[in-house]
Amino acid sequence: MPKPEDYSERSATLAGWPVQIVTYRLEGTYYTTVQNTDPGAWVVKAQGPTKQDVEQQAVKEAEALLAKIKSKKPPTGCTSVPGF
Amino acid sequence: MASQTISQTSKAQDVLVSTDWVAQHLNDPNVRVVEVDVDTQAYAEGHIPGAGGWAWDTQLCDTVRRDIIPKEKLEQLLSSSGISNNTTIVLYGDNNNWFAAWAFWQLKLYGHQDVRLMNGGRKKWIAEGRELVKDPAPSRPATYRASNPDLALRAFLPEVTTAVQQHAAQLVDVRSPQEFSGELLAPPGLPETCQRGGHIPGAKSIPWGKACNDDGTFKNPEELKTLYGGQGITGEKPVIAYCRIGERSSHTWFVLKYLLGYSNVKNYDGSWTEWGNLVGAPIEKP
Repeated sequence: MPKPEDYSERSATLAGWPVQIVTYRLEGTYYTTVQNTDPGAWVVKAQGPTKQDVEQQAVKEAEALLAKIKSKKPPTGCTSVPGF
Repeated sequence: MASQTISQTSKAQDVLVSTDWVAQHLNDPNVRVVEVDVDTQAYAEGHIPGAGGWAWDTQLCDTVRRDIIPKEKLEQLLSSSGISNNTTIVLYGDNNNWFAAWAFWQLKLYGHQDVRLMNGGRKKWIAEGRELVKDPAPSRPATYRASNPDLALRAFLPEVTTAVQQHAAQLVDVRSPQEFSGELLAPPGLPETCQRGGHIPGAKSIPWGKACNDDGTFKNPEELKTLYGGQGITGEKPVIAYCRIGERSSHTWFVLKYLLGYSNVKNYDGSWTEWGNLVGAPIEKP
C-alpha cells in the first residue's frame, strides 16, 4: 500500500496572517494545504506533480483569500457594543 | 509522571489511542476506524486502510434544521458503517481532530460505550509516513441502536444565559484571541456567520489549540491542568465550552471531561453563531 513521502511543514505569513504550509507526496502527486495557524482552520489546498508548483499555487490562492479577511480592532472597556 | 504521555495516563487510556495502536488494529474486527475532517475532500485523497469516512456537514448533523444528527439518522449511519453497539470506534481527522472530536461528542451523547480519538489525528499519521489508501473501505452493514441523547453533555441557550446571569457555570471560549476580542467574526478563511463580535460575558479565553503539541497530540496532564487551572477552570464548578459552531469546543470538552476528568462539562454547540446573532444578548468586548 502506498505511503506518504516527503512530508514537510513550515510556518509563513501571508497577507499578515500566520499560516502553516503542509505538503506531502502520495503516489507521485504532491498535496499542499495552507491553513491559518490559529485556530488552524483549513484555508486552501492544491495538488500537482511537483512540490514547488503545488506550494506556489496554494500560497497564491491563500494569500488572495486572506487579503480579503476583514479585521477590526474593537473598542475597549465596554460591553454590548454595536458591531461593525 | 511528568514524562508520561497523555495516551498512557489512566484517564486517557479508554478514550485515546496512538497511531501505533491503530496500525496494530487495522484488521481487528471489533475496531472500526472513521475519519472526520474539516476538509471533507481529504478522505478521498488518502485515508487509513479500512477506515470509513463521515462528512460533518451532511452526515453528522440535521440537514434541515440546525441541530446535531437525529437519533434515527445516527443509527442508520452507524449501521451502514458496519458499527454495532459493541464496536470500538476510533475517530481521527484533520486540524488536530476538530471534527473527530465533534463526532466523538455526538457518539457519547447518544450513549456509545467505546469511542476513542487517535492522538495526533490525520496529520500525525501522514507525518509518520504510514500507509494511505484512496478507495472507500467496504463495510458489512450492522445493526445499531442509539440511546436517547444524554443532555448532561450538551448546553442549550437557556442554560448558558443562566450561567451568565447567576454564575452557575464557568464559560470557556476556545476560539482564537481575535475572535474572543471581536476583532474577527470567524477564523480567516471561514465564512462569517454572526452579526456581532466579542464573547459571552465572563467567559475565559483558552484557545483550543493550546491543548495540543506541535505534532497534533494532546499535551500531557500536568500541562493541561496548568493551562486550564491557570484560568480558574479546575473542575470544581460546572464548565460550558463554546466556540463558533461547536466543533472546536468539542475538542476542549474532550480534554476537560476525559483527559482531565472533570465531571460536569458541557459543550454549547449553539456557540457564537447563536449568541452573536441574538437580539439583545449581552456581549463583552474585548
